[in-house]
Amino acid sequence: MHKFVFFGGKGGVGKTTVSSAYGVKCARDGLKTLLVSTDPAHSTSDVFDQQFDDDPKAVAGYDDLWAMELDPDEEVQRHMLEIKQAMSDQVSPSIVNEIENQIELAHRTPGAYEAAMFDRFIDVMKHSEEYDRVVFDTSPTGGTLRLLALPEFLESWIDRLTAKRKESVDLFEKAAIGDKEARQKLRDDPIINRLSERKEMFEFAGRTLREEAAFYIVLNPDELSIEETHRALDDLTEAGLAVGGLVVNKVAPEPDDDETGKGATYLRERHRTEQQRLERIRTEFEQPVVAVIEQRVSEVKGDLLSEVTDELGIDTEASPPQA
Amino acid sequence: MTVAEKIDAYLDTVEEWLHGLYHGMIEHPSFEKIEKEAEDTADVFMFACFADAFGIPSPVSYYTAELLPYLTDEFVQWERRMWDRESLLERKGQQYHF
Repeated sequence: MHKFVFFGGKGGVGKTTVSSAYGVKCARDGLKTLLVSTDPAHSTSDVFDQQFDDDPKAVAGYDDLWAMELDPDEEVQRHMLEIKQAMSDQVSPSIVNEIENQIELAHRTPGAYEAAMFDRFIDVMKHSEEYDRVVFDTSPTGGTLRLLALPEFLESWIDRLTAKRKESVDLFEKAAIGDKEARQKLRDDPIINRLSERKEMFEFAGRTLREEAAFYIVLNPDELSIEETHRALDDLTEAGLAVGGLVVNKVAPEPDDDETGKGATYLRERHRTEQQRLERIRTEFEQPVVAVIEQRVSEVKGDLLSEVTDELGIDTEASPPQA
Repeated sequence: MTVAEKIDAYLDTVEEWLHGLYHGMIEHPSFEKIEKEAEDTADVFMFACFADAFGIPSPVSYYTAELLPYLTDEFVQWERRMWDRESLLERKGQQYHF
């Protein structure tokens, strides 16, 4: 079993429920577990009836269970202030205003949110020595997948930037003919240093995701969810990430035979189609279905959560991550 | 002034002229060319980093913004150059002094 476990899937399929239940299960098995919600519409707080924030907090009523909700907005702000701080240390105030627009612009581009989230991801993974298991409840499929595909993409981008920078600094050195001082020097160029720091960070993320992380996809027994899962699996495989299994959530229960009312007939019908789809899921995907969870009447929390936890067939056994 | 001194003075002048000629014909143009090339490469780098300054969304501008404190002067000059530059031909043509 891997140290980092991700749950992904289409919006509304019950990722939060499943990942919370899995977190509870790990904690119950004596693993110190951290549950991380990356969904901007945080609902871990609702599941445990407790407000969480950007720092890990012990979940009341459970031993060994901690939870946190990542807030990219806060991270974007922090990042921006940090740069502005570095600016005022480095640059004369007269020029700062011109640059400040650019900094603010950079923090309002569409990618900023993802990048901030990604930074937080890496930060959590990097500083997780004290936990035996970290469970990520991710935001709906599209966003998460883009996020997980980032390291490789960014790595190659940074590589290209570094190469260009080296080329230009090298030319500046060559342009300094005779005793003329070069305008820029390759040795201790702060830009190249900064870029390689970033590259190391992305390499760490890529390595950790490939080697120490397991992915589970949560889906419902309906057409849309199945289609989405196909796409998600393709994307994950393309990014070189292994999917551990599928969790089918919100499956309609079967009424007893002696029930014949309108409601019971509807439910029986529904149960039958869903069983067919379940069969389809089992044959269509190579990945094993690790759990089938019945639809509940009310919100899953408290006792219901521990019931769901019992139904979850994902192994929590701790084994050292593959080298 | 002795003859020897006169010859020395004459040689000095010749040397100065030769050096000036060398600098003007060989050294300076090549220096200028390399530096222009370096500036152009630096511009490409700046553009790759801060494409969003020209309205092109860039997925890395969040990260490259971190470089700004070290690139401030270059950045301001670059932005000005990019807005001003009329054509690549004009820029490349600057190395020929007619």
